[in-house]
Amino acid sequence: MRPFSYIRPTTAEEAVNAFADAEAGARFIAGGTTLYDLMKLNIERPTHLIDVTAIGGLATIDTSGDRLRFGALAPMSAVAADPVVAGDYPVLAEALWKAASQQLRNMATVGGNLLQRTRCMYFRNGVDGVYPCNKREPGSGCAAIGGLDRGQAVLGASGSCNAVSPGDWPVALTAMDASVEIVGPAGQRRVPIAELYRLPGDTPHIEFSLAPGELITVIEVPRETLEAGTARGSTYHKIRDRESYAFALASAAVVLEIEDDQVIRARIALGGVATRPWRATEAEAVLAGQRLTPERAIEAGRAAFRTAQPGRHNRFKLELGARTVADALLIAAERSRS
Amino acid sequence: MNTASFPDRARVDARDKVLGATVYPGDVPVARILHAMTVPSRIAKGTLTALDTSAAMRVPGVVRVLTPDDFPSPAPVSEDGPPPPPPTLEWRIAYRGQPIALVVAETLEAAIEGAEAVRPSYAPEPFAALIDSEDSERDPGEDVVFGNAEVALSSAATTVEATYVSPTQHHNPIELLVTTAVWEDGRLTIYECTQSSAGTRGATARALRLDPAIVDVKSAYIGGGFGQKGGIGQRQTALVAQAAMLLGRPVKIVMPRGQIFHLATYRPHSRHHVRLGADANGKMTAAVYDAEQEQSRHGFFPCAEYHESTCRLYGIENYRGTAADIRIDRQPPGWMRAPHPQAACFAFESAVDELAHKLGRDPVTLRLANDSRIDHRTGNPYSSRFVNECLEEGARRFGWSRRTPEPGSMTASDGTQIGWGVACGAYPSMMVPAIATLRIGADGSTRYAVSGHEMGQGIRTAIAAVLLEGLEIDPDRLEIVIGDTTAAPQHITAGSWGTAGAIPATAKAVARMREAMRELLAGREIAGNLHRQLSTVRRPFLQIEVSEVGPGQGPEALQALRRGAYAVAGPEYPNFTTMSYIAHFVEVHIEPRTRRVRVPRVVSIADCGRVISPRTAASQVRGGVVWALSAALREATEIDPRYGGYLNNDLADYVVAVNADIREIDVGFIDRPDPLANSTGLKGLGEVAMVGASPAIANAIFHATGKRLRELPIRIEHLL
Amino acid sequence: MSKDEWVEESDKGQCSGFGLTRRDTLKSGAAIVAVSLSTQGPNSAEAAADRAAPLPVTPQYPLLVRTTVNGEMVEVEIDTRTSVLDLLRERLGLTGAKKGCDHGQCGACTVHVDGRRVASCLTLAAKVEGGEVVTIEGLSDGDNLHPMQQAFIDHDALQCGYCTPGQIMAAVACVVEGNATSRERIREYMSGNICRCGAYAGIVAAIEDAASKMGRG
Repeated sequence: MRPFSYIRPTTAEEAVNAFADAEAGARFIAGGTTLYDLMKLNIERPTHLIDVTAIGGLATIDTSGDRLRFGALAPMSAVAADPVVAGDYPVLAEALWKAASQQLRNMATVGGNLLQRTRCMYFRNGVDGVYPCNKREPGSGCAAIGGLDRGQAVLGASGSCNAVSPGDWPVALTAMDASVEIVGPAGQRRVPIAELYRLPGDTPHIEFSLAPGELITVIEVPRETLEAGTARGSTYHKIRDRESYAFALASAAVVLEIEDDQVIRARIALGGVATRPWRATEAEAVLAGQRLTPERAIEAGRAAFRTAQPGRHNRFKLELGARTVADALLIAAERSRS
Repeated sequence: MNTASFPDRARVDARDKVLGATVYPGDVPVARILHAMTVPSRIAKGTLTALDTSAAMRVPGVVRVLTPDDFPSPAPVSEDGPPPPPPTLEWRIAYRGQPIALVVAETLEAAIEGAEAVRPSYAPEPFAALIDSEDSERDPGEDVVFGNAEVALSSAATTVEATYVSPTQHHNPIELLVTTAVWEDGRLTIYECTQSSAGTRGATARALRLDPAIVDVKSAYIGGGFGQKGGIGQRQTALVAQAAMLLGRPVKIVMPRGQIFHLATYRPHSRHHVRLGADANGKMTAAVYDAEQEQSRHGFFPCAEYHESTCRLYGIENYRGTAADIRIDRQPPGWMRAPHPQAACFAFESAVDELAHKLGRDPVTLRLANDSRIDHRTGNPYSSRFVNECLEEGARRFGWSRRTPEPGSMTASDGTQIGWGVACGAYPSMMVPAIATLRIGADGSTRYAVSGHEMGQGIRTAIAAVLLEGLEIDPDRLEIVIGDTTAAPQHITAGSWGTAGAIPATAKAVARMREAMRELLAGREIAGNLHRQLSTVRRPFLQIEVSEVGPGQGPEALQALRRGAYAVAGPEYPNFTTMSYIAHFVEVHIEPRTRRVRVPRVVSIADCGRVISPRTAASQVRGGVVWALSAALREATEIDPRYGGYLNNDLADYVVAVNADIREIDVGFIDRPDPLANSTGLKGLGEVAMVGASPAIANAIFHATGKRLRELPIRIEHLL
Repeated sequence: MSKDEWVEESDKGQCSGFGLTRRDTLKSGAAIVAVSLSTQGPNSAEAAADRAAPLPVTPQYPLLVRTTVNGEMVEVEIDTRTSVLDLLRERLGLTGAKKGCDHGQCGACTVHVDGRRVASCLTLAAKVEGGEVVTIEGLSDGDNLHPMQQAFIDHDALQCGYCTPGQIMAAVACVVEGNATSRERIREYMSGNICRCGAYAGIVAAIEDAASKMGRG
């Protein structure tokens, strides 16, 4: 690990200014569960760390208004345990508590988690050229394409990269049409969650649509667009290689609004199968206005993968992903009835 | 022989462990310590042509970078001598991840930064990373043949034939490989988590051309071994020792897990072709079993041992077993919990299940009908064998009689497929010599030194059980010194022979001490415990030494022990064979759509002879079952043949069982002493605990789904 | 319980909400200063800093960290790269927390920071400035084991013992968080602590047992 300076400003303005003042190599750090991990692997090599966790007022959880507002510095565990989130928005709570371990959820923040980098093994291994990786060393190639790609993406991959977007929370937020508030050198702006994540294309090393020195401050989840104002008929269903403490092979965030047994609206997002949090609009379309049966649920799941492009070892993700969507739909439907 | 059952007793070292006070090798407080970090090779084969260490030396705090030039040339290997020690640093590269330099620094942070700053140059060569790679080399091992299997097979009424596959797996104890070397006053003291303190002494002395008499090795507590920390020695040991001697300061390495994957041993990928034949009554008459495994170019993890257990699971009179190494360019594989029988019995016990299905026989009944009193490999009787008792007791506890035989017949109303499976395991019960010293003080202290290494299996607790059963001493001041070459001659602790080495010697020490006390007291009746009695007769302490060898062993075994050499007896003893046995019963639930496999309950009944420490023994078996579940459903090390090395070299991507994976595991023991194997009637346990549970899971999955899966690990994609 | 409540308790001089009492559990290493809060005011730590042995080599980016470990004020100069785990183990002589992966993947390094369980290997030491760290060494009250420690012995919830300090720190937190309400929930909330020996059944039983004795669960 390279040496780095460390400061811990107490206001967002101070943090943004510190970033602007620093030479190249400055990074914000919150919980550090991704950044410090990758620094230990010598993949991230910041020279200046600006610890944002002492910034005041950014750890609040406000569920009182039309929109749920989560301060970017709220720990994942705290948001997961919030009674309103846990009771009325199971898709959010489950996406949080099914991620990592309680220790890491205590450290990681809901804002920082949005910027978690891929878990592609070729990305994480082989610094100094053992495995080529366009994300790590732009232009070096991609060892995962044509390699051991069981865990890789089947949706949204390019000829440069098929690394999976690893998060759970961003998938749930994608289903919920969330947005983030950002401050930076150019002031404040708001970005829909769907626009925060980029497809790899020819530039897989650019993963987020954040400019240098920009800082996520708040995550907003609208509830006025939900008929009931809550998302009780929702779930985050996560299938992995063990029961807990593992990244998704396939996951589905589903928010269902059902009336008289008919689906008014289904919002579906996928994790573990795509290069970014993946909104499955094709699957949503299959369900609109329909009665939700197990058959319809699997049909919707399959629709989500119609454009999927599997590699050598991950073809199973098409079927697993479809079934995960189906199970998630049935779980959400069950909840919306109760 | 005393055959009484031992009482339930808490683990003797549990208090220190829950306090965080147990001192593992990485915890030994040493002043002025330097931190070391290895630099791994990035090529899989070839030559290291240059090492530019200038940038590393400029890192503040780095004091030295050791290169191959800092080490003596490899020690000469003699045919009948000990196996060669692990190589030190070399210009030749035999596998990716091989250490090419050692950076030593004042702080850990500097050592890591320094290691990253070393700039090597290589001349790479083509390599073979997998057994199917082009340059792999087939090297047949010894056959195991008795009877005439081919003839018997051709006349069998029913036969089955299939190939089974077991993946590369890594031990991954939670403790990393840790070595602290202290060079002081002409003595080298090594604190290391090793299952073989004497082996580490010998290997380090040979690698560095030292007199073993000046080397002490202490391995009081190991944070999980599972075979990784025994076997052929750890490659970092001599590097760190050399650094300590060159620099005149203590040096410690805590090796990163990613590097351990590349440098420690592992369970080799193996393929098993099994043919079984049975007569019309379901009596198994023939087995033909060909095994092959991945192997390093010069590795010696023996392939023929795949037959050790399978040829003795049942009374099959005609057996032909072959085995082969497929040599490739990786680091040597080695002994990982239940080394050969884990893979071999997965194959064999799956095949037996296939046979039962084909015969229309219940798999428990079929097994019960194939018991034997005779080891057909040697013609000698088994000293004890209660595998049928394990099956019967397990079936009773599990409720096996409620099983409906047809695959898929126990599906629940929500579509969850339920399967019940059974399989057996066997493992050689071996014994090693021991020399023990017992000293009881009038001051209330007791010190007992013997060969053995505590890696959580509970050897200290078993030793304490025997001492406290036989001697009235103060348990709170009982010190059991093991894993320490300065305290008693040490044998490698592995192969489930730890207790069989230490316990008979301990029982003998107890008897000798009682005798010595009787002589000392000469008929006087003195109240109180032994400390009080010694105090009353004004004797500061009483010390005795005993030694014990295995059946058929003589003084040469004790000499070997004193040399730190390998001195294992069994499972073939002069007139009998001794094996441990287990029967596992498993229930699996498979989700209707996403096909996750859950294992809500397991019943495991073991025949390990007399149980010395019931509580830790039960924990051992539960742990073995967890290992088998993890091996069957989770673990595989992934190697991209284009690059060599291990891709999933951490605990996030090498997926081992977590708490949420494990439900109820009911453990029972037959607890009947073996009359011949040793004076205390015990047999080995740690390995056999795991054997057979993986095929029981696979068999349960077949029963749930009708799908026979012959390759481990069984993952979600195989059941979609 | 929210973070704010923890802070409030801390201000009252309680180490955490786990029924812990401050004890002199810190072993002095060569490069640290440990000042008992019971005998000296917080300001005396500054004076004590003069007596702190320096790092063996001055790193490019040194940082002075003041924190409380098991109730003792600690003031120590670190390399900014140092993790809490390496600070505890290599500088403060507190070797109870263990290194099993150094990447937040095994849980052996679990300690409590400001009342919450964290992976100390993945926590920058710089981050515990002004915070309160409790390690396994600070859990028992002298010779009196914490109920969780006793339960781990009673249920043989360990074998090699290497993951045990992390398991116990996680288990205590699991109960305090209110996540020890069923076997299933315990299993889920203890899955961040890998026990390679496979003592999971005993760990779950121990937590159920201790939870009832801790008055929660």
